[in-house]
Amino acid sequence: MKRNIILLFILLLFFPAAVLAEESYTFDAAEIEKKPYHFGGYVELRPVMYVLDKDAALYKLQYYQYPRSTLMEWNGRFQLEGSYEKGIGSVFVKTNTDLRYSSFANGNERTAIFDGYGTLKPSPSWKFEVGKKTLKWGKGYAWNPVNFIDRPKDPYDPDLPIEGYIMATMDYIRSFDGPLKTFSFTPVIVPVYDHINDDFGVNNRINAAGKVYLLLYDTDLDFIFAADGSRTARMGMDFSRNITTSFEIHGELAYIKDYQQPFLDNAGVLQSRSQDVVSGLMGIRHLTTFDLTTILEYYHNGMGFSADDMKNYYNYIRQGYNRYSSTGNAQMLNIAQNLATGGYGRLSPMEDYLQLRLSQKEPFDILYFTPAVTVMFNLDDQSYNITPELLYTGITNLELRLRAGFIRGSRDTEFGEKANDYRFEFRVGYYF
Amino acid sequence: MLKTIIFIMTFLMAFPAYAVDGKKLLEQVDRNLNPESYEAYRKLINIEPDGKRKEFTMYSAKKGQDKIVVLFLAPASDKGRSTLRLGDNMWLNIPNIGKPIRITSLQSVVGGVFNNADIMNLDYSAEYDVEGVSEAAGNYLLLLKARTKTVAYDRLKMWVDKGKKLPMKIECLTEASMLIKTLYFKDHKDFGGGIVRPAVIETDSPLYKGYKSVMIYAKIKKRSFKDEVFTLTYMPNLESLR
Repeated sequence: MKRNIILLFILLLFFPAAVLAEESYTFDAAEIEKKPYHFGGYVELRPVMYVLDKDAALYKLQYYQYPRSTLMEWNGRFQLEGSYEKGIGSVFVKTNTDLRYSSFANGNERTAIFDGYGTLKPSPSWKFEVGKKTLKWGKGYAWNPVNFIDRPKDPYDPDLPIEGYIMATMDYIRSFDGPLKTFSFTPVIVPVYDHINDDFGVNNRINAAGKVYLLLYDTDLDFIFAADGSRTARMGMDFSRNITTSFEIHGELAYIKDYQQPFLDNAGVLQSRSQDVVSGLMGIRHLTTFDLTTILEYYHNGMGFSADDMKNYYNYIRQGYNRYSSTGNAQMLNIAQNLATGGYGRLSPMEDYLQLRLSQKEPFDILYFTPAVTVMFNLDDQSYNITPELLYTGITNLELRLRAGFIRGSRDTEFGEKANDYRFEFRVGYYF
Repeated sequence: MLKTIIFIMTFLMAFPAYAVDGKKLLEQVDRNLNPESYEAYRKLINIEPDGKRKEFTMYSAKKGQDKIVVLFLAPASDKGRSTLRLGDNMWLNIPNIGKPIRITSLQSVVGGVFNNADIMNLDYSAEYDVEGVSEAAGNYLLLLKARTKTVAYDRLKMWVDKGKKLPMKIECLTEASMLIKTLYFKDHKDFGGGIVRPAVIETDSPLYKGYKSVMIYAKIKKRSFKDEVFTLTYMPNLESLR
């Protein structure tokens, strides 16, 4: 008897959950009680270590004054959200604070309202919204060429929340029996004035855009337009469909009129060209019986730079670096930095990309554990970036992600000229 | 193919034909489990071999034979996520990502033994044909075959309480009769409005040895919805249904 009690004590001490596993299940009514308000948030710590490539053009551009081999960066993110609902009306606000500290850039902080809008829903068919929000148009995983209104998402971390624009939108939804199951129309008005969406494009314009969505023959179809305004006129469409239960295809096509592109010619002189461009994306998503998800996407960026354009830019940086080294004059490097914000520094600055992402859910019966690898391949210059990652979400509201980046390419290629060769990142996120 | 024929032949030889109309019985089981259109609150618990638990609370709304939406209420990391099923089409909407993405019935948005088809389950009679019905230990045994290849489980063996016309146990099988998981229906409860049904569904699987998932129903209420609720465009607004 005494031995059994000791055994039970040891069992309770080391395996309390196992002993309690047979307890009856509880479901408190308070857990589902609806309150008119909601508060929540997310806090994140993300240290990143970069191993730098001292020969790369973008290294010379960024670190010409403070050369170094590695860089340790500490990133923090704090998000707060709240909502209030009464009758057919509701308001929602989400703020985002990004903190960054490194021995190179010291500390900086940026706080912004990512979303902040009011909604009126007089019926399930009608919805009106005014305020700051994102639309997230498009079907692609890494890129969305038809997402004419939102800020571009990060193709290396497409799930990150992005800051919205101030707009007025409406949804009208109709459902039907037959091959056309759903029709919806979403018109959008985006004003651009001083202090209102002033980074969207040309000032003092009211921009009109819209999307028609159809669920037709089990295929999602969107037809999208954005009229001439702060940006030039553009139109597009996207689709998504399951070919089988575990095989999905999707695509996007965008036509942009009179796109103005500043570029450096081979003499290092800044030029500008105006042309109608077409961007597009084709992708598949496949799930095997053993839970391996494959996402493969091809992206053609009609607004991208050619391999020759990029080569001219990298040459310009090198010339600027040489001039700085010999005379201390950083004028060319300053111009190159301005050009980076003007287009050369975009996350996908060139024309043709292929992304492959493989993620294995819960291998070896480890619940909530997902290892993945993503390969981003630049088809124009054959350079690439490999990103393996391990994700664990087994602790309620806690998310742990370990990630690395291996960046490869010869000189004058996109990934070959990136400032770093490797990066290692650990992200701890907690939802509350 | 040969295995399938042997399986059916064995079943037919072992159990002579009964006067029970299997199709009608399955429809009765469906109606006893849920009204055709309803709203419900459920909790899903994943239990690991060491007893560690992860819980999800969900609100769901169903209409007719082929429409269901599920909204996650807790934990905080999943709050606001929603899934929509329109027949064979399934989507997942994550608030941060914003746009709904297509998902499949065999995936699981919550991890664990329950997959998307279990969470967004339609009427059994909408997805399965009755291949055979027999009596087993004083209860009915229904042998069901999926109507299309898109249904998550090709075959089901459903043990039905003869008096209550409610499922007691369901074995989910592949086309080759391999057991994928077993669902156990427990704790009959009166939810009001004439709905008396099992409040707890437990599941285990030989593919997840030692793991168990449990679905607990807190509220089920007959309710009608407009068709427009079951659309991609409406997904971000599901909270307003509650």
